[in-house]
Amino acid sequence: MSTMLTNTQHLAPAAQSSSRRNTPAVKIDGVSKAFGDTTALHEAWLTVEKGEFLTLLGPSGCGKTTILNLIAGFLESDRGEIFIDGVPITDEPAYRRDVGIVFQNYALFPHMTVAKNVGYGLKMRGVPKAEIAQRVREALELVKLPGYGDRKPRELSGGQQQRVALARALVIRPKVLLLDEPFSALDKNLRSAMQVELKQIQRRLGVSTVFVTHDQSEALSMSDRIAVMSAGMIRQIGSPTEIYRQPTDRFVASFVGDTNVFQAERRSPSTVSVGGVTVGVRSTDVYDPTAEPVADLFVRPEDLAVADAGTPGTLAGRVTAKVYQGGYTDLYMETPFAEGSVMARLNGQDAVARWPDGANVGLVLPASAGVAFSASRDAG
Amino acid sequence: MSALSDRPFLRLFVSPAALIAVGFSAAVIAILQFSLRAYIPGELEPGGFSLGNFAQMGKPIYARAFLDTLLICIETALITLVLAYPLAFMLVRAKSRVLKSALLVTAVTPLFLGEVVRTYSWIIVLGNSGFVNSVLLNLGLIDRPLQMMFTTFGVVVALVHVTLPVMVIMLSAAISHIDQGYEKAAASLGASPARTFLTVTLPLSMPGIIAGVTTAFAWTFSAFATPQLIGGGQVNTISTLVYQLGFASFNFPFAAALSLAGLAFTIIVLALFKRATRPLEQLGGQA
Amino acid sequence: MNRSPLDWALRLAVVAVVAFLVLPAVVVVIAGFNDRAILTFPPQAFSLKWFERALTYDDFRHGFRNGLIVMLWASSIALTVGAAFAYALHRYDFALKHVLESVLMSSLIIPHFTIGLGLLMLASQMGFGRTFAVVVFCHVVIVLPFVIRSVYISLQNLDQRLELAAASLGAPPWKVLVTIVLPLLAPGLISGWLFAAILSFNEFTGSLFVTSQATQTLPVAMYNYVREYADPTLAALSAIYIVITATLLTVANFYLGLGKVLNVDHAH
Repeated sequence: MSTMLTNTQHLAPAAQSSSRRNTPAVKIDGVSKAFGDTTALHEAWLTVEKGEFLTLLGPSGCGKTTILNLIAGFLESDRGEIFIDGVPITDEPAYRRDVGIVFQNYALFPHMTVAKNVGYGLKMRGVPKAEIAQRVREALELVKLPGYGDRKPRELSGGQQQRVALARALVIRPKVLLLDEPFSALDKNLRSAMQVELKQIQRRLGVSTVFVTHDQSEALSMSDRIAVMSAGMIRQIGSPTEIYRQPTDRFVASFVGDTNVFQAERRSPSTVSVGGVTVGVRSTDVYDPTAEPVADLFVRPEDLAVADAGTPGTLAGRVTAKVYQGGYTDLYMETPFAEGSVMARLNGQDAVARWPDGANVGLVLPASAGVAFSASRDAG
Repeated sequence: MSALSDRPFLRLFVSPAALIAVGFSAAVIAILQFSLRAYIPGELEPGGFSLGNFAQMGKPIYARAFLDTLLICIETALITLVLAYPLAFMLVRAKSRVLKSALLVTAVTPLFLGEVVRTYSWIIVLGNSGFVNSVLLNLGLIDRPLQMMFTTFGVVVALVHVTLPVMVIMLSAAISHIDQGYEKAAASLGASPARTFLTVTLPLSMPGIIAGVTTAFAWTFSAFATPQLIGGGQVNTISTLVYQLGFASFNFPFAAALSLAGLAFTIIVLALFKRATRPLEQLGGQA
Repeated sequence: MNRSPLDWALRLAVVAVVAFLVLPAVVVVIAGFNDRAILTFPPQAFSLKWFERALTYDDFRHGFRNGLIVMLWASSIALTVGAAFAYALHRYDFALKHVLESVLMSSLIIPHFTIGLGLLMLASQMGFGRTFAVVVFCHVVIVLPFVIRSVYISLQNLDQRLELAAASLGAPPWKVLVTIVLPLLAPGLISGWLFAAILSFNEFTGSLFVTSQATQTLPVAMYNYVREYADPTLAALSAIYIVITATLLTVANFYLGLGKVLNVDHAH
């Protein structure tokens, strides 16, 4: 363990002067990018703090990879400015940005050994041979691949290749580490193991990280903060809890996590009613009393409870299916107040046994756990 | 998405190629200049501006040569296609790596032998005391050698051999891009192997067929040693006439005019072919 | 498909076509060993004297040397120019891109006698005469499309993210080129060079127009020989030719995978 600690000190970002300590690692100021007529990124504003793990989350084509490529210098922005460590780098070419990147397919150089791959960035920086060898060894120990230096990338498994790619990106002590969907090529078990390990390494080194993914559970489990994107725009930036519990945007509410959508009417800036049942909401968009009061109420499955049919203050519903998930059971129901089916995530066997398929039930809306957004706004 | 933001080496990488393109274009322009000048018998330097060279093109011997060349090209391209297809098909679909390699090397080696070696080989095969006649005479199937040298038949046989490798390469490229799932789907729907081939494989390889026929046509048109040596003066093609005009009569202006006409002829024929086959090409979709 | 009549028909057809492809080579090799000065079949007696004559005949020795010089220059120039151009073609959009591409690829369609005649006329206009430079240029024009195609296919199979990764690790463009692109393109470059070299060494029609007695290459010397003599010397030389070419291609296929180079094989 003690050797591990000294090793990681080597890899930690170069000491920063105290005046720079609070400078964000990456600052993106009003950056836009279009490809021909298609806007890939529309006026993005974003900061990544020192040591922070920030995730860009969104469906494909939302602009998250564009941001990554702009930070790395693989693309040139049309408008706006990007700072790394407080220094504007918009005009710097990729090879002078001190950015480490791990690609989805790892992009290991197939004609070089693992050691040569990891040492590539150091060699380009003119680091003396002996030091390269030392730092490569440390980096391979860090990713738990000591002694793999002489192998060729094709002799390694997918997970091992990913570790090499990570070592290669980290060994240059990058000012920021960029991860482009690094787990999508791994199978499920390996993926969660690698997620934990990557997070540990990132913590230990304190390296500022921008992580791109379309997988919301990955984003929720790993990030310090998440920026949810769609259609070239950043919809919301916040901690995983904020993103999950208090989405400020209809897209965020529906993209991140499972959710139920009820047809509701606005009652006040902070309450809505569904089928005569009025509940408070955690967040909502601007309430305009002059407009149609129609809204959609988003309720997480774990916030939705089930009671006997006819219980006062509940919504009438009928059980259509049950899916046993091990630790919990998903109870699917239909109700006149939601367009599709709704789902409640219930703990406990007996609760489930009480409501067989086809049973009439009462849906219990949470008193103030839902969020509501106008049905008409950005319906896409 | 993944382009580097600047374009390193663009100028450095394109300039040399541009230089060669300029030199090449200048050569074609030189032909154009020569073709528009008068021929002075006994002089290597051409005379002044004249359209006479193109007027001479109307003479029966040249009209005949154009027609003969066209027929030879079409026959060669079609025969080559029929012979190349089974070979290309097996080359792509053979399961054994060894068989694949053997077929590939056999198919492409003639491409690299050069026209002279190949033509000479065919002279030995087709000659009056050559291989074919000797075999047939010894078997008692004929009592007099068949005349194959100095005939269009002999020229076409040798030209088919010249164009076969490139046709095989182009067809194989197209066939190797065909997703065999389509064929399996057709077979599972009850189509016989022959029907599957005619309705699925053949249409999907159409882009390769068109590219192969185009190239075979152009190469046959370009061939010189084969019609010259096997045709032996009895078979006149544009290429042999251009050479005779240039190096036997030293009538370079007319040689220039004839090769320009030949070039225009090739381009027109290939353009017509392309237009005629456009609906067929679409059968193959994106290949 | 197994053992259907169609399958047998296919096999039969392939055997016949392969026989057709191989027949002249076999016949010419046998003829090279024929003892008599006239070509007859089958040979009554065998000897190696025509091989000896083929290897000692002055015009062939000369032509071989000339051909080698032209081949080395032409294939190396074509490789450098063609590879660079293929890279630009694959990676960038630039002014006149398609015009340049069409001009350079057009030598596949333009008859070689036209190319030869044009270069001969251009050279005489510019006062070059039939020098080696003109012969080399003619060969470069003729083999360039093959190099461009071969390198272009290799570039299509090269993952561009490797270059991006190298750049992000601090490699400036020229180092990316030297340490990543060139080593990974090596098979395509070598096979492109090999194709160019073999095609140049065998190029005949264009060479016939632009070479003189002093610069004539081996195929031209061979052509002139056929027109003058009827003995089997050329058969012997052809036999040598065939063996060397087939060996080269088999080796190339083993090390480079001709199938991939020719774009007819997509297996890994």
